Amino acid sequence: MSRLPLEGIRVADFSWIINGPQIAQWLATMGAEVIKVESNVYIDIGRTNPAGMADRIPGPNRNGYFHALNYGKKAINLNLSIPRGRDLAYDLIRKSDFVLECFPAPAAKKLGLTWDDVRAVKSDIVMISVSLLGKTGLDPANWVGWGPMACCFVGMYDAQGYPGGPPRQTGGTWPDYAIATSVVFHALAALRHRNRTGEGQWIDASMGETVIGQMHEWYMDYFMNGHDRRQLGNRDAAMAPHNTYPCAGYDKWIAIAVANDSEWTALKNLMGNPTWAGDARFADQFGRLTHADEIDRHLAEWTRGFEHIELANRLQAAGVAAGPVLDSVELHDDPHLKEWGYFWKMNHHEVGERILPGMPVKMRNVPQLNYSYPPDVGQHNREIFGGLLGLSDAEITSLMEEKVIY
Amino acid sequence: MSARPTQALDDLKVLEFAEMLSGPMCGKMFAGMGAQVIKIESPNGGDPIRRHPPFAGGEPHPEKSGSYLYLNTGKHSLTLNPTTPSGAEIFRRLAADADILIENHPPGLMASLGLGYDALNALNPRLIMVSISAFGQAGPYRDWKGADLIEFAMSLTGYNTPTMVADVERENPLRAPGHAAEMMGAANAAAAAMFALFNRDATGRGDWLDVPCWQAVVNTAKLEMAPLTYLRSPFSRERAKSSGGMEPLPCKDGYVYTLWAADAHWVALKKLLGDPPELDSELFNDLAGRHQYDDALRPMIREHLLKYDTDYLVREGQRLGLTIGPVYTVGQAANHPHLRARDAFVTIDHPIAGRFEYPRALVQMTGTPVSSSRAPLLGEHNGAILARLGYSLEDQQALRAAGVI
Repeated sequence: MSRLPLEGIRVADFSWIINGPQIAQWLATMGAEVIKVESNVYIDIGRTNPAGMADRIPGPNRNGYFHALNYGKKAINLNLSIPRGRDLAYDLIRKSDFVLECFPAPAAKKLGLTWDDVRAVKSDIVMISVSLLGKTGLDPANWVGWGPMACCFVGMYDAQGYPGGPPRQTGGTWPDYAIATSVVFHALAALRHRNRTGEGQWIDASMGETVIGQMHEWYMDYFMNGHDRRQLGNRDAAMAPHNTYPCAGYDKWIAIAVANDSEWTALKNLMGNPTWAGDARFADQFGRLTHADEIDRHLAEWTRGFEHIELANRLQAAGVAAGPVLDSVELHDDPHLKEWGYFWKMNHHEVGERILPGMPVKMRNVPQLNYSYPPDVGQHNREIFGGLLGLSDAEITSLMEEKVIY
Repeated sequence: MSARPTQALDDLKVLEFAEMLSGPMCGKMFAGMGAQVIKIESPNGGDPIRRHPPFAGGEPHPEKSGSYLYLNTGKHSLTLNPTTPSGAEIFRRLAADADILIENHPPGLMASLGLGYDALNALNPRLIMVSISAFGQAGPYRDWKGADLIEFAMSLTGYNTPTMVADVERENPLRAPGHAAEMMGAANAAAAAMFALFNRDATGRGDWLDVPCWQAVVNTAKLEMAPLTYLRSPFSRERAKSSGGMEPLPCKDGYVYTLWAADAHWVALKKLLGDPPELDSELFNDLAGRHQYDDALRPMIREHLLKYDTDYLVREGQRLGLTIGPVYTVGQAANHPHLRARDAFVTIDHPIAGRFEYPRALVQMTGTPVSSSRAPLLGEHNGAILARLGYSLEDQQALRAAGVI
């Protein structure tokens, strides 16, 4: 196996649920030694959520939610709510390059994982804190919350609706993922800075602020022109038609985006040049933007007659940007993802053969990332407490009995 | 002795041959960490996003596009046409001296210009070439035309947007606001370039990175995929079949967002709403029950929320330990004292567009904070960059006359 980019870098990972684990997974698959600190006092809910439990047989090592976000890592148990547990956590931090945590500010304080706590333990550490709206500032810094609440706070869900309708939620827990590589980029810049200067620093990442940085059109329009509340649905400033259209079957859709006259001509030709499409009002991009609703109604009647994946292939072959709206079964079977090598298969000792999502980038000189299997609860206790922290087997056993390693 | 660096990447040279959203956002992230970023723009009008709204003052102008101004802070602009032999030569000289090249052209285009990875690697083995695309550099969709809408819609996250659909016929899938697929690809590209940089620091060898925007969004649907592969249970976007789905809920003066999955949260929510007797049923006491009877439960919760205003619900709810927050418009957020206290926005002067605020940073850092200086005018740095490469004023005039710069 070729060298991995982050070999030699160690992460003391106190994070859980989604955003922290996604950050740590990038670091782990790229070769960092990520030591995930878990505790039976607050077990990662990815291990317990029934919606991801393999074949509905309960067990903390059987959960697809956990597996999808935590392969490549090592897992240890440590009870941070007692002083001996905290001391061991600090011992781990002393031997690490990164500390990662995503607790709400009051919980981080209670567990001894504030920036002041951590830098007192190791002055050149790069600490990554991820939270809803940042850990400094006013009252919202202390809120409990999860990803979608960040989108709500910064206007993303208000802008997500159908024009004139109520705010709607973007699929999944968008900001938990949106923040991940933004954090990874800046954290590695910080590590490089540490390598050059010996100085550590704190990355106080707010999911809300990452989303703001991605919604620049809304914020710039507000700051430049005072415009607020733009719900665009699928409308685009420059492209029309630009929408999702119904296809044959139940809840099947195709996305089509026409950027210029030649693509419009290609689309008309594929439709067999129906009379409506020859309307002079639709002849240029400005006219199509102005009459987008009318075009959408006609286009939807045409798309209804086709199977969505087949129609997307035909449109793309004709030079029109189009894509099928894929459900989970179709995504799982998608030929492009297969050939590109997105999913990977493991043969896990408890759940058997399962398909997991891989990382969404490829590096020519790093052909195989670290896809070691997701760790069982406490799988690396002996290795880390014995090997890295130098405790004897007897000490480890007694710490387990005392529910310190727990 | 040189001063202590305050910008983490101020020793890096980045060449950005990219336009619109993904590539420029990636370049902006490097510029924010202090890298010197040269943005190559078409001599024929520059980055096409200069023609995209919103414009400062509303009037279309190539130096007043809000998207251009935001996505290109801190960069230098060189107009260059690399499809001409002289233009390609200038490109090669810049690439020979660069640490990172960011491009987001259709796969194969760089190679067709003689500027593919193999050619550039022969010139500069330390170069890290970051290729951002819609679907990736290989596979059946490699040559498909992309667009933010397409990349987002094809991901399972796109199928699931908006969530909690009541009428599948009328509620068509929507893309996320803000070109989310392109932004996700940009951040993945920036992170991947840093991985390659750490690898280069150890091996001396550059790399070629394949960063697709579609796969970037597919990667946000991990939890929606797991039930299929772990329980053979396909994902549904329908309200009736959603397990524990959530959505903004109306209150007296706006909307709030909350969830009542955990038992402790359920108890807190009941308390917040004044412990209404109809919610005090043992049918609702556990997650399974609340899920099973969601049809009955949700309308009751909605009715009670309408009695209270946002500030009360959020303040009291948070005090009770409930996960609850406000649903703001962009304007409300832009003026919120918390974001103001964190300096989430920065005022930047621009000689043509004017002076106004911008979002400041994707993440906040204590030691090497993200810096923001204005976006360049089209071709603003032509003279300085070409002079550094050894082109005389006469050469530059000839290049301009030939349409190369």
